[in-house]
Amino acid sequence: MSTAPQGTHSLAFRVMRLCKPSFPVDPPFRIDLADLFVGEDIFDDPLAAANLPPLLSTQLSKSMDSSDLTYGSRFILQHPSDAMGFSGLLLLPQSFGTIYLGETFCSYISINNNSNFEVRDIIIRAEIQTERQRILLLDTTKSPVESIRASGRYDFIVEHDVKELGAHTLVCTALYNDSDGERKYLPQFFKFVAANPLSVRTKEITYLEACIENHTKTNLYMDQVEFEPAPHWSATGLKAHELHPADNSSTVEVFKPPILIRSGGGIHNHLYQLKLASPESAQMKVEGTNILGKLQMTWRTNLGELGRLQTQQILGTPISRKEIELQILEIPSQINLDKSFSVHLNLTNHADRELGPFEVWLSQDSVHGKKNVMINGLQTMVLPQVGAFGSSDFHLNLIATKLGVQKISGITVSDTREKKTFDPLPDVEIFVESD
Amino acid sequence: MEEPSPSPDPPTNQFGSLNDLAHELASLEDLATRGSWRSILDKVSRARSLNLLTSPHDHLIYLSYNVLAFSKLRRFSEASNEIDTLDDFNSNYYKYETYPRLYPNRSGSMIPFSLRFIHAQLPIKLGNRQEGLDRFYLLLKFIREKIKEKESNNLRDSVRIWKRRENSILNCLIGHHLGDKEFSLCLDLIKDLINRDYLDPVLVSKLGYIQMQIGDIEGAKGSFNRVETMLNEKRSYEYFLGEVQFRNLVNRNKALVYLVGKDYVSAVREYEECIERDHTDVVALNNKALCLMYLRDLSDSIKLLEKALERIPTIALDETLVINLCSMYELAYVNHSEIKRTLNNWIVHVAPDDFDASCTRV
Repeated sequence: MSTAPQGTHSLAFRVMRLCKPSFPVDPPFRIDLADLFVGEDIFDDPLAAANLPPLLSTQLSKSMDSSDLTYGSRFILQHPSDAMGFSGLLLLPQSFGTIYLGETFCSYISINNNSNFEVRDIIIRAEIQTERQRILLLDTTKSPVESIRASGRYDFIVEHDVKELGAHTLVCTALYNDSDGERKYLPQFFKFVAANPLSVRTKEITYLEACIENHTKTNLYMDQVEFEPAPHWSATGLKAHELHPADNSSTVEVFKPPILIRSGGGIHNHLYQLKLASPESAQMKVEGTNILGKLQMTWRTNLGELGRLQTQQILGTPISRKEIELQILEIPSQINLDKSFSVHLNLTNHADRELGPFEVWLSQDSVHGKKNVMINGLQTMVLPQVGAFGSSDFHLNLIATKLGVQKISGITVSDTREKKTFDPLPDVEIFVESD
Repeated sequence: MEEPSPSPDPPTNQFGSLNDLAHELASLEDLATRGSWRSILDKVSRARSLNLLTSPHDHLIYLSYNVLAFSKLRRFSEASNEIDTLDDFNSNYYKYETYPRLYPNRSGSMIPFSLRFIHAQLPIKLGNRQEGLDRFYLLLKFIREKIKEKESNNLRDSVRIWKRRENSILNCLIGHHLGDKEFSLCLDLIKDLINRDYLDPVLVSKLGYIQMQIGDIEGAKGSFNRVETMLNEKRSYEYFLGEVQFRNLVNRNKALVYLVGKDYVSAVREYEECIERDHTDVVALNNKALCLMYLRDLSDSIKLLEKALERIPTIALDETLVINLCSMYELAYVNHSEIKRTLNNWIVHVAPDDFDASCTRV
């Protein structure tokens, strides 16, 4: 990862990524002495139950006596939680790891003088270079380091908020006078790549559903996910209330379960109900784009390592003045396999002129392929004209050919006179039972 | 299996010393305490070949030490093969009542419980995680049936022992799930422990560390507050924790909160209080060294770890601490192989047989 030029430099840069340390865990082979010296049921014998404990505790003190230079604590179980192998000892980051957009890159940098002579007047610079920019992290030009003795070191820690994806290079340079008085220049490069941690997909009607997918290799604890609505909207987060009737009151106090998104593709959905802030703002609805707002996310990983991202403006479906509106009014509650059922629909004409006649059919859609719910009878239904601002009710006879949850998809209406086909109705789910 | 003749020990002195429990048990235990696991393998092998083991329980205890030694030396296949030489654990061969002349008035299993535990953990170490977890959950079921049985027979001492075993196995399971980052399972198991009244400050502290690992800092703070409340409410001995150990636990938890908030100076202060109270608190020593590093003081962090190894080698010699020291060496010295080799040579002379010296990355 580091590329240093060949040549006789007295100085060299050493770098270690300084993200948060971790807690190593490794359940050990540690046992209680009573589980090794005697049979497991021996305490049923009252003689043993009376005489063994003092013998065992004497032996335990002996084995764990630290002044006696023993390693008893490596195989004896003193406390039941020793069996977990999770001691609270912290471990330094062992590898560079992956760096994600929204996180803070932190690094320990040490300049070593590995020669036998002192070097003087050292100007040190550290900067991050990406495709788009160079960011200076450290520059001692104004107050150079006076000297670094033989075998000595000068250390510093740098931090940088990762705001760009892709290749990054940490460039460390030192300009110094070596023992011969020669002014030398040492550049060293440490490369890393910033990856995308999350992707956000949204679906909107008057509700906004945001689906957050975790692309990292660790689980993410979502500290905060907030929707910041655009000025003319207000948003309320909707949460299901989780019921834990079996919980004992002491455990409910202990902790509430965290929201964790599993690594490598786990997802979590958030639902927001959006309302226009005031009736007047309805007039602000202009044809074209409809900005709803932004999603702000803060997450934490190991030991609270923080990451932050904000989405671009999330757009609602463009508002278009629809001339024709088709809606499903009623679907029968019981739908049986291979038995015709009737769906009650309504066609409304929002225009100021008579429209129609119309044709209604189920469109074939290459994504879905063969349909399990079809029109029973003539595949196209013809409807007469509808007057300005008028509406007309009608029934469509459908039949389902497969059991279980099925979709009525692609109900499409077209105006045969103006030769205009409108967008199909969204899919509707039904449940098909056997006879 | 033919019943051997009873040993000459008078029945009332069966529990006077370790050697009353099994042939030369004191010597085996001494070797184990020194970490001389290879010597244990030799001793067991010798005792077997010279036919020094006379009774069934001697054989079982020696076999347990052998299995434990192989496991500690990370020779897991050999440990597994050794256990496979036994019949089913629940076989009558291993019951006291099968040998009434040797064990008068005694009934039940003479299998040392550690064998059941090692039998469950070995597949996981051999890479067959699902098999190991299945064995652990079956073992848990077995323990719970034993507890019910002993309770219904009013055997209070046995109940206490089996409940302690249930507690350890649950903790071990939490460790395995934690290693695989199955956090929800860990939290559920801890809830289970608390519901069964195995609530104690060390467990609640570890819950806090798990919450920190997930990133739930507020949850961790809540757990640590709970531990402090426990310290103020009850006497420490009621939790099987010494007074000094309990106070140090509280300080170390505080230090972690500071560390997570990047206030390394305050974290160092908390750790120093621990070390002042107990100079053998190796968790405080190790973690303080890390804080010094985050405060840009690499030299002092190295000195701290080196001094700890020098002063209290049998306590400080821990693989994690050594890995940390070696990481610091790699950062501090361009030519770090020499200094790591010196450390490695020292370890070879001082460390127990089960110490994993590959951690020096030499």
